[in-house]
Amino acid sequence: MGVEKMKIVGVIGKNALLSRVLRLVVLNGSMHMINALVRVNSSDFFLPPSEKNIEALEELPFLKPYSSKRDFSHDEEVVTSLLNLFGLKPQVRLEHLGQDYDYDDFMKQLLDIYEKVHSTDDEINERMRSIEKKREYIESLKYLTKYSFDIGRLTDMKYLAFRLLKISRENYDKLKKNYENIPAVVIKVAVEGKYVIVASITPVSLEETVEKIFSSLNHTLLAMPTGYSGTAAKVMEDLTNSIDEDQKVIDSLKRSLEDYRIKYAKEFEKGFSRLEMEKKVEELKSDLAVGDKLFFMFGFVPVSSVSDLKRELESQFKEDVIVLVDDINNSGPGITPPTKLSNAKLFRPFETLVKMYGTPAYNEKDPTVFFGLTYMLLFGAMFGDVGQGLILLLSGLVLEFFMKRTSMGGVLSRIGLSSTIFGFIYGSVFGSEEIIPPLIIRPMANINYMLVAAVVFGIVLIIGGYIYNIMNSSMERNVEEGLFGRNGAAGLAFYLILLYAVSHTALTNSGISPTLVYAMAGLLLLMVFKQPLASRLTHADKLYRESPADYYIEEGFGVIETLLSMMSNTISFIRVGAFALNHVGLYIAFATMGDMMGAAWEDIAILVIGNVIIIGLEGLIVFIQALRLEYYELFTKYFRGDGVEYLPAKLKGITPATGRLGFFHNRRISREIGMHIFATL
Amino acid sequence: MDKVTVYAAVNTKIRAMEGDFLKREDYMNMLQKKSVADVTRYLKDHTSYGKLLGDIRIDNISRRDLEDILKRNMIKNMDRLMHYFRDDYRDFIRSLYIKYEIEDLKSLARAIFNGKKPETMEKPLTFLGKYSRAEAEKLFKSTTIKNLIYSLEGSEFFEVLKPLLDGKRENLFRFEMALDMGYFSIIQNRRQKISAKDREVLKKWEGMVADLYNIQWIYRGKKFYRLSPEELLNYTMNFGDKLTFTDRKAMCYAKNLDELYRMTMDSGYGFLFKKEEISRDIYMERRINRYIYYKLKALTRKYPMSIIQTIGYVWSLEFEIRDIISIIESIRYELPPDETRKFLVKAS
Repeated sequence: MGVEKMKIVGVIGKNALLSRVLRLVVLNGSMHMINALVRVNSSDFFLPPSEKNIEALEELPFLKPYSSKRDFSHDEEVVTSLLNLFGLKPQVRLEHLGQDYDYDDFMKQLLDIYEKVHSTDDEINERMRSIEKKREYIESLKYLTKYSFDIGRLTDMKYLAFRLLKISRENYDKLKKNYENIPAVVIKVAVEGKYVIVASITPVSLEETVEKIFSSLNHTLLAMPTGYSGTAAKVMEDLTNSIDEDQKVIDSLKRSLEDYRIKYAKEFEKGFSRLEMEKKVEELKSDLAVGDKLFFMFGFVPVSSVSDLKRELESQFKEDVIVLVDDINNSGPGITPPTKLSNAKLFRPFETLVKMYGTPAYNEKDPTVFFGLTYMLLFGAMFGDVGQGLILLLSGLVLEFFMKRTSMGGVLSRIGLSSTIFGFIYGSVFGSEEIIPPLIIRPMANINYMLVAAVVFGIVLIIGGYIYNIMNSSMERNVEEGLFGRNGAAGLAFYLILLYAVSHTALTNSGISPTLVYAMAGLLLLMVFKQPLASRLTHADKLYRESPADYYIEEGFGVIETLLSMMSNTISFIRVGAFALNHVGLYIAFATMGDMMGAAWEDIAILVIGNVIIIGLEGLIVFIQALRLEYYELFTKYFRGDGVEYLPAKLKGITPATGRLGFFHNRRISREIGMHIFATL
Repeated sequence: MDKVTVYAAVNTKIRAMEGDFLKREDYMNMLQKKSVADVTRYLKDHTSYGKLLGDIRIDNISRRDLEDILKRNMIKNMDRLMHYFRDDYRDFIRSLYIKYEIEDLKSLARAIFNGKKPETMEKPLTFLGKYSRAEAEKLFKSTTIKNLIYSLEGSEFFEVLKPLLDGKRENLFRFEMALDMGYFSIIQNRRQKISAKDREVLKKWEGMVADLYNIQWIYRGKKFYRLSPEELLNYTMNFGDKLTFTDRKAMCYAKNLDELYRMTMDSGYGFLFKKEEISRDIYMERRINRYIYYKLKALTRKYPMSIIQTIGYVWSLEFEIRDIISIIESIRYELPPDETRKFLVKAS
């Protein structure tokens, strides 16, 4: 539960083994890489002086970052063109990577096959182009079929140039009217829509002039074959035959490609997997340190995976690698342990919503369970409906299990479940309150009760937030915030006293006792003087971290803000009740519209549309409102969210990729949305 | 529909919009200004352009920015007029965009051909895509003339430019000529679809414009490009008002420029070559524009209930923008106001 513990694992080995070790690490997929030089230079790094380590100790002072960067663009080109040519799906498969192999040798073999395949492919393309060209010839020759003379005599003339062209009718008119000045014989061969096909014959010496004139008529030249003889019809037949021949050659070439496919498809797929692996490995190298003979690499590994990784490394490389496993101390800057959240299945999807705000720090309490629980309660209370809740639950399950959107679907199904439960409590099915009796309460009949209950619920949640912050501070040994801070023990005491005073005054209609006032004033003073007090208690060197004047100005305003926010945070929860009412209200509006309709089917149609709108629109609003309460009212109290996410080095696509919420997965954006909503509501 | 019902509304709108045109003294005042910013400030403070330039930072406005604003305004006004028309007439009014879009397309092609980036060009290509409905973004991204032509796929321009795609003959001159020739064949088609009465006015009007442009083309082709008579003739527009095909052919085959002048004198367009030789080339375009401007005024008076009113408004607006830009250009080249006036179309 919560944040998983990490250990720092170091691997030292011979440079020659580098790629193979990295490959193993990637396949293992549990190491979150850190910069090796930073690790080696950190204060708590210690390499026991034993015989086995002697070489490593010698190299330690001379380590350099790994610099040479390999270029895979050529390999990539080869692999992608092979995959395209044979229509293979690019996917990384575990079975291609498991065995021990040498990447360069493998690539060389692949390249040899590629050369052969490539030349065949080129030939196919060449033939295709030739067919294309011949088809074009046939198109042009069609215009000449009405004449029965030898085409070859026209196209192969020595002193005269023959051409067939297409020009627009208007331009043909111009040509005709000025025919006496054109140095060519021009014959109209055919008319086709807006265009006229003409044949022209010119002396070769005048060809350039004629070309210019035709250019000014915006002509299109129709291609004519050379080296053929016979009438147009015969030449067309010859061309058709020759196309068939080309087609046959293409077919046989394609068959030979098919042979390659049968023989080597596996190799090509392997090529893709191995290339992807090699690219990943190359990427990881930038975090390594290398000496003359040895390389050093370090990373965080969750405690549960350490022994597996160690065993794999040692069984494959035996004595050639040294594996170091260290606990995490305060390693100093540059080495922040990453946070891997591990929660019960019920709460796991909510991790995404928490990460939208920020990843918990390694030594922070993971708020996911508290968040998940309260979020479900908030959503359910605001959107309590058996029918609509079940629809959300179902669509969530579909998303989760059929469309592999685990986090989105997971969140949806859980809040759907909660909505269903609250539906029974409120006695509401698809908005209608006539089908089942309520287990506890009807919101619309008990408006004041709902609103007060919402605020009380909010108070419980806020107190939970205080407790979380006190726990977090005690884990960090932060006396200032935990004991005297406005979200710490002093703040909590103040809040409780304030609540007591307010409720007492309201219920008994009497004044506040002076003791309470003094106690609150005292607590406020504690909050103002939190830094000097904490410094005194922990025997720190300085009383203030900044100038005292700045500090007191800031804290002075802090007190005002505390008072304001305590009130607004508490009252803010009234919306939980308000939305529960709103839910019923919306349905009543649609039900009334339905009654106004004449026919029964119209009534039903209105109710169906109304329910769709309620699920879509109100569902979304409630989703956001609950999120806003969590982020703004609660997270600001206890959650910093400045951790580093645990991103182990591994290849995507081998294991099923984890889905993410489609919308706003950026924490900055979601915060902005939160603030915006706070401002508008 | 009755022509009164068709034109009464649009003509009222045009009269109202004409009220926004610059007055003669506006031009005179602008001529006295010393910088682009000063001219812009004058436009903002003293003319109907004030509302357009409301929240523009005037201090460092460039000629390009201003021209862009003015042209956008022109598009807005043309779109306004279009609302008064239906079906074929609306298509016809839309075809008034062709002229301006082609101008911009040619500028863009020139920039591409010379390897310049369109963003660094002086002219804002505001009208791109207005008629062709091609995506201006896509056009701007083209790096070769060929790309540019393919970006126009689906529009009428593409049909005209397609023959250029055979590879060997792609060049700027042919691109420009093909578009220009295409323009006239498109508008001739459009003309077929409007009422007989309007067609008659248009034929007269477009014929006159064609005559002027044909003479200018033949003159330039002979003097600067040294084209063969056959090519010259093929590139002329195949219609006209006073000039027949035979006249045009004769002009193309004129042995020298003097013979061409004489023919022009006989044709009634002699004013194009008035005065001393030097001024002929520089001022010819302005003479054409002024002639067009006054002819349009005459035509609008003569045919009050016709399409020519709308055309007249659009051209007049174009000339106004042209004049403003001329003034700004002259200020940048430090021409004295009296010299500048010789280039203005609407005021002098």
